[in-house]
Amino acid sequence: MQLETIDVREPFEAAPPEVRQIIDRVLKLEKSRLDRKSNSHINDDILSIIKQIIQ
Amino acid sequence: MKLISIRLLNFRSFYGETPEISLEGYNGQNTIVFHGSNGAGKTTLLNAFTWVLYGKFTAAFASEEQLVNKRAIAETPPHSKVKCQVKLKWEHDGTLYEFIREREALKGEQDHTETQHPLKMMVAKDDGTWSMSREHPDDVIANILPASLHQYFFFDGERMEKSVRADKKNEISEATKRMLGVVVLERAFNHLKEAKKRLDEELQLLGDSQLRDFLKKQRDIEQEQEKCQQRQEEIVQEIEHQSVFKKEVGEELLKLNVAQEREEQRQQLEERKKSLLISLKKSKESLKKAISNQGYTALLSSILPHFYNLVDNLKQKGEITPGVSREFISRLLNSQRCICGTELCQGTHSYNAIQSLLDKAKFASLESSVYSLSSQVEAMEKEQQKFWDTADQEQAEITRLRQEIQNIELKIDEIEDKLRKDPSEEIRGLQKRLDGIEAKISELYKEQGANQQKLQDFKSDLENLERQIKRQQKAEERQVLAQRRISATQDAMERISEVRSRQELQFRQQLERRVQEIFSRISFKPYVPKISEKYELNLVETLNGIETPVAASTGENQILSLSFIGAIIEKVREWNQTKMVMLPESNTFPIVMDSPFGSLDENYRRHVAEIIPNIANQLVVMATKTQWLGEVEKTIHHRVAKEYVITFYSSKPDCEEDYIELGGVRYDLVKRSGSEFDYSQIVEVEYGF
Repeated sequence: MQLETIDVREPFEAAPPEVRQIIDRVLKLEKSRLDRKSNSHINDDILSIIKQIIQ
Repeated sequence: MKLISIRLLNFRSFYGETPEISLEGYNGQNTIVFHGSNGAGKTTLLNAFTWVLYGKFTAAFASEEQLVNKRAIAETPPHSKVKCQVKLKWEHDGTLYEFIREREALKGEQDHTETQHPLKMMVAKDDGTWSMSREHPDDVIANILPASLHQYFFFDGERMEKSVRADKKNEISEATKRMLGVVVLERAFNHLKEAKKRLDEELQLLGDSQLRDFLKKQRDIEQEQEKCQQRQEEIVQEIEHQSVFKKEVGEELLKLNVAQEREEQRQQLEERKKSLLISLKKSKESLKKAISNQGYTALLSSILPHFYNLVDNLKQKGEITPGVSREFISRLLNSQRCICGTELCQGTHSYNAIQSLLDKAKFASLESSVYSLSSQVEAMEKEQQKFWDTADQEQAEITRLRQEIQNIELKIDEIEDKLRKDPSEEIRGLQKRLDGIEAKISELYKEQGANQQKLQDFKSDLENLERQIKRQQKAEERQVLAQRRISATQDAMERISEVRSRQELQFRQQLERRVQEIFSRISFKPYVPKISEKYELNLVETLNGIETPVAASTGENQILSLSFIGAIIEKVREWNQTKMVMLPESNTFPIVMDSPFGSLDENYRRHVAEIIPNIANQLVVMATKTQWLGEVEKTIHHRVAKEYVITFYSSKPDCEEDYIELGGVRYDLVKRSGSEFDYSQIVEVEYGF
């Protein structure tokens, strides 16, 4: 069972560090916004995450 | 996340403030039970949880606009306020939080209006004190127990079967997708796609690089420049060479008796011309210097009359009449002595006489400014004259020198002409050579001048190119960066999509298997729960090898819902151990259920009672006496940590009182209030051990 769940994560685990950081921060942001009525500026925020990480 | 306690104040049927009701279990005893009759406040208590955390109510909760206890309002004087409040404590990751939601009722003459305040959150510090948190309480709750999933944790057992009915399927599938992080992955993918589009646009705006073209141009110009510089050096050498030739030819002419006199004359004239050219250059420079230093004085002519007019006006008005200044008189009065030695005491004739001068005297500062300016203006006028003198003198000198040079050149021409026409062939030949050499030197000087101009142009072209190259290099760096960002975003999107499809395969299948296991333990019918690709929950049976949907009863749907909730909590808890960021932060979940055994027969109740304490880490159950006593109590008793009784005080004088016996002690379930108000109170069951 544990092996199966690790397999699910594998594409994240195998990502280059910068891509991994983007994924983690974007997913965290999306999760925090899940229950907000307004999702304004999400595109700007995601863009700035990418720009901050890849410099 | 673990629920710690709840406390109500004037919340609907609960009058006054309840004690802090502990919700903590211990050593496998994870179940808290609230006993209450129908209408005593079990649903109200469930809604206290959903209201404090999410500001929401369950479907069974009527008149949600009236939350403040009626008795509390009745006891409040008109135009005064009374509040209802719910405080809930929970612990997450070693931090203790308290959430407080309040509503205030303003009592009028006949009725009242209620105003809700924003949710507050306190966080306990290590030293036991509490402080307001900087984080937004809704965000903290959303990360731990999201509002969209609250129906999994706080629900009305009697109505829960509705959640699996057709009209709610979409809602529940959406909530499931949220719980499993599917929605987070989908949104992340879509928003990254948008971000990638914007990055693509930014790259387009940066345009194609012209760096290569500019670098090629730079190389070409540098080569040209080098060639030109080489040529300049060659020209200098060639001029020197030609000058030597010229000198040699001149010497040969000198050797010839006939030409000697003329050649000497010419050389003298050439020398004279050289020195005149030097003087001409000097005069031009001195004229330039005079213009640069004193040229401005030429422009003063129109301004100076204005200044003199101004001074005249001031003089006419008496503003700058020379005389004793106010400052001087003030000094005399302050020192109390005149320059003649007379003492100047206030009130005396002498003092008053001097003081009267004050009004007549003028300020010295204006006067001195005018005089100082006047002297500067006079100096400028002198400068102006000097400038014109210098300019005239140099101009005259330049004209004279030019004239003299012209005369010398004419004389040289005459000599050369005579030499060209000399009867001696040798002399004519030498003069011809000299003419050729001079023509060559003159050509070389012209080429040298043109090359100098070219070199200056190359220099400024190269400076411009340098700037453009730097700009292009920066733009190219930006392009490379934009491309890196685009490919990283693309990679992130692909990985999210891959995780999403792997999860689709594994999470859904595992979840389905677990729902089937739980359901089959409770239900005696051979029905099988299925979770569709859209995360919709269905109950099917297999007839002749074909799966067909089942028209499930209320009880079966209730069991199906419980199995689903149990499975989902268990699986999320398990998957969460791998710390997947899209899943809820918590891996321990409480369940607060109102009447979980509502429409089940005894056999099913026993099975449900067996299963529900295992579903959640923490279980809070509200039940009536008939739902609880018997099979349920026997089955679940060893998991119970605490029990509370909700006593309902009825205003009905002839109401039938009721009680429940727990641990050998009678606890009132329904009691006469002895007043015109109905209200409820909560009492903890004491076990006496």
